[in-house]
Amino acid sequence: MIVTAFFYIFAAILVASAGMVVAARNPVHAVLFLILAFFNAAGLFLIAGAEFLAMILVIVYVGAVAVLFLFVVMMLDIRFDQMREGLQRYAPIGAAVGLVLFAELVATLAGLKIAPVEAAAPAASGLTNSAELGLVIYTRYIFLFQACGIVLLVAMIGAIVLTLRERVSSRKQDIAVQHARHPADTLVMADPVAGSGMDGQILRAPGWTPALDKPAPARLETTS
Amino acid sequence: MIAPGIGIGHYLTLSAILLTLGIFGIFMNRRNIIVIMMSIELILLAANINLIAFSAVLHEISGQVFVLFVLTVAAAEAAIGLAILMTYFRNRGSIQVEDVKLMKG
Amino acid sequence: MNWTLAVPELVLVLCGLATLTIGVLGDKAKSHAGLATWLSIASLLFAGVLVLLSPSGIGLGGVFINDAFARFMKIVAIGGAILAMAVGFDSNRRAGLRHFEFPVLMVFSTAGMMVMASSANLMTLYIGLELQSFALYVLCAIDRDRLGSSEAGLKYFVLGSLASGLLLYGLSLVYGFSGSLDYAAIATALHAGAISPGLLVGMVFVVVGLVFKLSAVPFHMWTPDVYEGAPASVTAFLAGAPKVAAFALLIRVLLGPLGALAHQWQLLIEIVAVCSMVLGSLAAIAQTDIKRLMAYSSIGHMGYALMGIAAGNEAGTTATLVYLFTYVVMNAGAFACIVAMRRRGEAQTDIAALAGLGRRDPALAMGMAIFMFSMAGVPPLAGFFGKLLVFVAAVKSGLWVLAGVGIVTSVIGAFYYLRVVRVMYFDTPAEAFDARARSTSAVALVSGLATAGFVLIWAPVMAAAALAARSLLAGTVG
Repeated sequence: MIVTAFFYIFAAILVASAGMVVAARNPVHAVLFLILAFFNAAGLFLIAGAEFLAMILVIVYVGAVAVLFLFVVMMLDIRFDQMREGLQRYAPIGAAVGLVLFAELVATLAGLKIAPVEAAAPAASGLTNSAELGLVIYTRYIFLFQACGIVLLVAMIGAIVLTLRERVSSRKQDIAVQHARHPADTLVMADPVAGSGMDGQILRAPGWTPALDKPAPARLETTS
Repeated sequence: MIAPGIGIGHYLTLSAILLTLGIFGIFMNRRNIIVIMMSIELILLAANINLIAFSAVLHEISGQVFVLFVLTVAAAEAAIGLAILMTYFRNRGSIQVEDVKLMKG
Repeated sequence: MNWTLAVPELVLVLCGLATLTIGVLGDKAKSHAGLATWLSIASLLFAGVLVLLSPSGIGLGGVFINDAFARFMKIVAIGGAILAMAVGFDSNRRAGLRHFEFPVLMVFSTAGMMVMASSANLMTLYIGLELQSFALYVLCAIDRDRLGSSEAGLKYFVLGSLASGLLLYGLSLVYGFSGSLDYAAIATALHAGAISPGLLVGMVFVVVGLVFKLSAVPFHMWTPDVYEGAPASVTAFLAGAPKVAAFALLIRVLLGPLGALAHQWQLLIEIVAVCSMVLGSLAAIAQTDIKRLMAYSSIGHMGYALMGIAAGNEAGTTATLVYLFTYVVMNAGAFACIVAMRRRGEAQTDIAALAGLGRRDPALAMGMAIFMFSMAGVPPLAGFFGKLLVFVAAVKSGLWVLAGVGIVTSVIGAFYYLRVVRVMYFDTPAEAFDARARSTSAVALVSGLATAGFVLIWAPVMAAAALAARSLLAGTVG
């Protein structure tokens, strides 16, 4: 009874927030409504007995994907008040198409008997939903599991190759090089004679000749 | 029966509504591309709800396995899509739908 | 857990990972794109050899099937990928694309295509398709400083994700109303008579999603803009191998699990084929940009290939497979010639730039002419054989209207191919093109020989295609 009530509550909020995702003027609001929709979908998953996936939906979809959307919305600094007249022009046709599609779908799907395909409930196996999933993913569907890993790798490569820019101006430390430096390469102890001035006592690089020093620039004549 | 009084028809209707909203959001959207990408997420959510509901009714775990893989793939898709959108934005300076002319054939 | 069936895919993925590691760990100052491309071509060749040696059967938990059909499609897809990568040696360097990730992404995309061709489960279908598509989305947008490339990537991504979403919705309905994700189990359930309206709705969504990936009407709108905007070697790749993989998927799904619904989807496929052929021939007439011309021509070619599927029998499938083989070869060669169209370092994509090529550069002009004539279906080139087989299969199945439309659109379509040839040989010569790289010439030469000399390789290709079609239909019956 309570479960039924919760189904309708979750379903209603899900549909409402999905509608707001599409209709919201502010894209940040749209993302937040998407998050609300995902939460309610997770609730529906729970009612259907898929607890693991409900939690994964919250962790992965809300926690990663929706947050990523929010990051990008913030980064791109979208102006939300630029709605064009195109919306009014296309609205009637779009609404008509949408209604027809929806009516068709509901008519065919909701009014059916699926009795032949519905299986008898098996004896309760005492396993949690996660355990049941785990029994198949790593054994029977291991190939698909690994293929999903490659899909994620491709997404990573894609994100890096499209958006990573090497900053030429940033000076990075190379710790290995720094550790490999020897004190003898950097420091030479000299012992100048006191009071003698620096001429002839300045250490120069090997191969230096006085001609290599540039002459002092000519002084500007000051007007007297 | 997934719950007292809730059968497969309820879940299917719900996902049909979500699918319609998602498609509506893509073709009716005149604002920016991010809303289109969120509408695609709605369509994927509709399919996921379908799969979970059928898995519950058929007492088969394979539907839930499919949903697990779809969640993975959808997350990767969002990442790639947003990376491409960033590249486009850096070049174009805006993400107005008119500028992209998606439906121009 | 017969995992030896998937050895080619595993090896290809491992080689891709190795190439990626080499690129990542290499000296950042140098570009490793050249080395990565050679390694990738080598891994593709190795994978191709492994495909030929791979055993047949269903394995890996029932999600993976390997038969003659899968082997044929994989070899054609690998061939298309190698040719596109070879085209990329020169065109990428000139476009300033020095990413070593480029060939790595192509390798992963090809791995995805191989998984698609071997799918025995709805999950494998979806994951393979997404793997292939993601790599392609990134490749289209990879020229990240050029607006055209970003726009192409974005457009392809949005419309591709929409198609995948609709496909997934259809897959969920097919699963629900047939009770299983395995092709064999679905086929058994449907032949036993559990066909319901929900299943038909699911089938429509699945066909819609797959038809998009094929760039057939009415979901073709992404094709011209994406072909125009994406980097040249990506377009060469996109026009060839992914179409083959999408066809492999479509044929497997339609003749396998959905085989019991043949009456329903045949009409759908016929309509799509007719519209594609008509649009492909009419819309291309007005084009002045050669890449857009190629885009519309590929839409038309997909229509002809779909004719063979509409026939729904072994002859039709054989015809489609041969057509796809010739299409990939012709396409790669044509794009190699397009890449060779450069003046002072700038890519020229106007048809007018080809004016008088017959006098300026006879070899390139002859190559281009061979590919244009072949696409128009002039005997004895490759394209003619493909078209002949498809028309014969359609007529034998009683699809007179389809074959009639095909012949008429073929004649109309020949107009714009022959116009390109006329511009090359009869117009006053324009400025000469830059010298082309050896890799581009190599690809054009190989494709040109395969196209012009198709009569010589006709028998083995036909035999392989027939074996593939037979193994597919035998495996799905009962």
